[in-house]
Amino acid sequence: MVKLTIDGVPITAPKGTLVIEAARQAGIMIPHFCYHPKLKWDANCRMCLVEIERVPKLQTSCSTPVAEGMVVRTATTAVTQAHKSVLEFILANHPLDCPVCDQGGRCDLQDFSHEYTPTTSRFIEVKRIFPKEYFSALIETQMNRCVQCLRCVRYCDEVMDVKALAPAGRGTMTEIKHFTHHELDCEFCGGCVQICPVGAITSRLSMYEYRPWMLKRADTICTYCGDGCQITIQTKENKLIEVNTAHGAGRNNGDLCARGFFGYHASTHPDRLQHPLVRRNGELVQATWEEALGFVAETCIRLKMEHGAEAFAGLIASRCTNEDLYVFQKFMRLAIGTNRIDSSARYGQINGVRALRRVQGTHRWAVTFEDIVAADALLLVGTNITETNPITGLKVKEAVKKRTATLLTVDALVPAVGTISNIANLAAHHFPVHPDRFGHVVLGLIKAVVEDGLVDQALAHRAPAYVQAIGDAVQALSWPALESATGTTSGALREAARIFARAARGVVLVGQGVLRSPGGYGLTTNLLDLLLLTGQHGRPGCGLAPLAEENNDQGAVEMGTVAEYLPGPCDLNDPTARERIAGLWKEELPKGPGRTLTETLEEARTGKVKAMFVVGENPVGSLPHAARAKDALAQLELLVCQELFLTETAALAHVVLPACSYAEKDGSFTNTEGLVQPVRRAIEPIGESRPDWEILSALSVLMGYPIEYGDAKEILKEIRSLIPGYGLLGAGPNPPRPDEAVVSRYLREGYAEDLANRYAATQPTEKRTGHFTLLVTQSLFHSGKFSTRSTGLLEIQNTGVLGLNPADAARLGVTDGDRVRVSNTLGELTAPIKLLERIPEGLAVFPEHFDEEARRLLGVSTDPQTRVPYCKSAQVVIEKL
Amino acid sequence: MAKSLKSWLKTITFYEILVGMKATLKHLLHYKPITLQYPHEKRTLPDSYRGMLALLRYDDGTEKCVGCDLCEAACPSRVIKVVSAEVPGEPTKRYAKEYYMDMTRCLFCGLCVDACPVDALGMTREYEWAVYDKRQLYLNKQQLLAIGDRSFPVREKKLELQHLNVAFFNVAFKHLPPKEG
Repeated sequence: MVKLTIDGVPITAPKGTLVIEAARQAGIMIPHFCYHPKLKWDANCRMCLVEIERVPKLQTSCSTPVAEGMVVRTATTAVTQAHKSVLEFILANHPLDCPVCDQGGRCDLQDFSHEYTPTTSRFIEVKRIFPKEYFSALIETQMNRCVQCLRCVRYCDEVMDVKALAPAGRGTMTEIKHFTHHELDCEFCGGCVQICPVGAITSRLSMYEYRPWMLKRADTICTYCGDGCQITIQTKENKLIEVNTAHGAGRNNGDLCARGFFGYHASTHPDRLQHPLVRRNGELVQATWEEALGFVAETCIRLKMEHGAEAFAGLIASRCTNEDLYVFQKFMRLAIGTNRIDSSARYGQINGVRALRRVQGTHRWAVTFEDIVAADALLLVGTNITETNPITGLKVKEAVKKRTATLLTVDALVPAVGTISNIANLAAHHFPVHPDRFGHVVLGLIKAVVEDGLVDQALAHRAPAYVQAIGDAVQALSWPALESATGTTSGALREAARIFARAARGVVLVGQGVLRSPGGYGLTTNLLDLLLLTGQHGRPGCGLAPLAEENNDQGAVEMGTVAEYLPGPCDLNDPTARERIAGLWKEELPKGPGRTLTETLEEARTGKVKAMFVVGENPVGSLPHAARAKDALAQLELLVCQELFLTETAALAHVVLPACSYAEKDGSFTNTEGLVQPVRRAIEPIGESRPDWEILSALSVLMGYPIEYGDAKEILKEIRSLIPGYGLLGAGPNPPRPDEAVVSRYLREGYAEDLANRYAATQPTEKRTGHFTLLVTQSLFHSGKFSTRSTGLLEIQNTGVLGLNPADAARLGVTDGDRVRVSNTLGELTAPIKLLERIPEGLAVFPEHFDEEARRLLGVSTDPQTRVPYCKSAQVVIEKL
Repeated sequence: MAKSLKSWLKTITFYEILVGMKATLKHLLHYKPITLQYPHEKRTLPDSYRGMLALLRYDDGTEKCVGCDLCEAACPSRVIKVVSAEVPGEPTKRYAKEYYMDMTRCLFCGLCVDACPVDALGMTREYEWAVYDKRQLYLNKQQLLAIGDRSFPVREKKLELQHLNVAFFNVAFKHLPPKEG
């Protein structure tokens, strides 16, 4: 610690702290434009000049680290004079259009001008006017207002790693430009808009519709991916105006992605359901809540009398709040009396949770975002993290760029510079393999660990049989076979294994590419084996992190809305857990079995299930046509949907009940790292819509089984009585430690049951010439189907565009924007193409958000253990149209 | 004795009342009545009279208001409501799409006029705004502009050096409808 004095106040600060930071912590504000705590100092604006004793000239406090005995003065005549000069120079060119500038009222330049400058200027020259190249749809630049602090340029490079912006020109004529022609094409994270101290870069979405002082704020959680970023929704007269986030707030620490920053308009889309709909004479017609709920309750009671409780099933989207999920499963279990519940966590998240529970006895990560940043070696498997979990991606970028971690990536995409960042570009070792061969790379890594003597000695002593069994399994694999399957060399695999095994802190991140594709559960378990073998498992700051796709995937599992778990999660058949929960609910739990999504649909098709409650989930729109979800749901005698929009599933329903979106309700979301964060209401419910839990609660009353709560907080209180400590406790998550008893059991016998399966290098299906692998994946600019209702995101991406490698495209004789026909035995689609160098040859990538056509091409297979439906890839032929 | 006589005399002549009424009686003799026969006669207004509010135009007929909402912020009794937006066909140019004044609440303090950065608001010398229906005092932009037109026939010249709202490539700009007329 260093002692210094700022303005007569004695301060102690850690060594290396900048004077501006030390002063801020002591409550002394030094004016600045170019300094930002997230960025490396640049000292180009000269606004933060201070006087330091025994230093002859004024110093920029943003670039001067504190020193022992330093005496700093921030308010002397010389400093004030310097502030005046700097501002006079800036205002020589800055237009006085504050009244029409969206930043007016929260502008640094405005504030400092009020504080430090005289009201007149000595400049009589004409102000500079930059010619404008184009008007942007989302990020509007007004370069005349720029103060050339370069914060946006540095943010885009240092934090986002996109490098879309650069300064052009010299002196006062410096202008922020981007590299592409015409319109800006980047990640659209909105970081430049948020970080601009003046109004030079503003958002176009709500341009001129507000003034900062009119806005009402609500700190809530973004609903677009599992990262759980804190966002502040700003509203004016019940209208969504903008979203931003504060530096230091939430897990995202002031960063957002395009979805978070520009995607907020989805909640107030004009297509939102405003009234309950009831099917009369085959048509869905508007009804009152009383009619709709009365009809549902009556029919439920009748069907229960006729067919029993086992004829009911429930499906809920894991985009709902924990409160909704909890009340849903309680409603299904008690008011209806069935365990046939599943949620969209079944699409992949369950693979990660099941593997974690099996090996280490936890259902959450044993690591946090901070551990990712602090890691020495990071292994990313099957995740294009920038596009699926952008903010977790930023933690990886921070670890690599600022903390010099070594990044190992296994993914289908190849390193290439593009308009959006690509995590493979930062990797020390990148293994670009075909998406169904990620497992081979992992097997290669484990083989290298075993053969090169990198196995943790403590583990070898603790579980010799386990090490031996895995050793034998990988010895059976031959290097040439692995090399030919992965297209890499054994040397590279050995080098990567050595880096990972020798790292002090190793973290493995697993993404959709693994969790949502065949063999996902086994591969996730293999990765835990890799952690165990290298001794990274169980060490603080090390562990496996399966990335959740939906914002509350983790909460859906913990609230017991999946077939195999009760709230907790506790196993459905665990007698002690059943007894405890029954005691708290003061009611016997139903004895019937749980049924997963695909099993439920199958039972609906055969007529075993007669009635279904579907909350926010859209199986018809998410599963491929091959899953025949539509046929199954059409068989039902009662289909009740609680929805925001009239989706494909809701269109089949007998009753559609309008539900509130995340912006209109209170509750909590559990993010991918297991942090429960509060969701707060920003606007009043649209139309007659009600929160999901309230609808279920009202139904339960009508059915004579009241499950009533005053508000969302009461539900969380009840959840807390079931799961001790559930809720936000402190600023960050408190990750669970692996349960040593479970780890020991796994090392003793648990590993053996499917060892042969997991360690078999299945010969991948040989690629037939002329065939492409079609991957239907998440895009950076959308999340599920909800975001396709958001005007801002539709500006960036509004149709399904097939991504192709330029070499493939050249072979097909097509170029950017041409339409192609994609077909296989199941169906065909036509789509425009876009050439992307990050897509390897032989692969075609299509966004899942616009997949009405593409779903026809996909087959569906089910995981034998976790019953996860895998339906994200297909073999196709592509022809020029 | 003499004292009591004096007081007796004062009592019977109502002397105290005469003293009290002295000023009144003086006025009765010296001053003319000041009541104006209002609809027929009108007072001369002082130069700084703050009457009905109005929106003004430049000499070329364009509205001065840029929709900055500062008048709304300055108003102590929440008279003003501005709905600002981009000018159709002229991206990045701000204007007041709608502008309302609820004159039933106005104090005529003139803070909005002071706050206006472009002198788009003026206080006229109109005061004859009695209406039978209060709702007629809820004025919209057109009404306010009309008041300005009739009260301020001499208009300010528009600044010549204006920031042009044009771009080299006006591509892909589909948010705003084309300029009307």
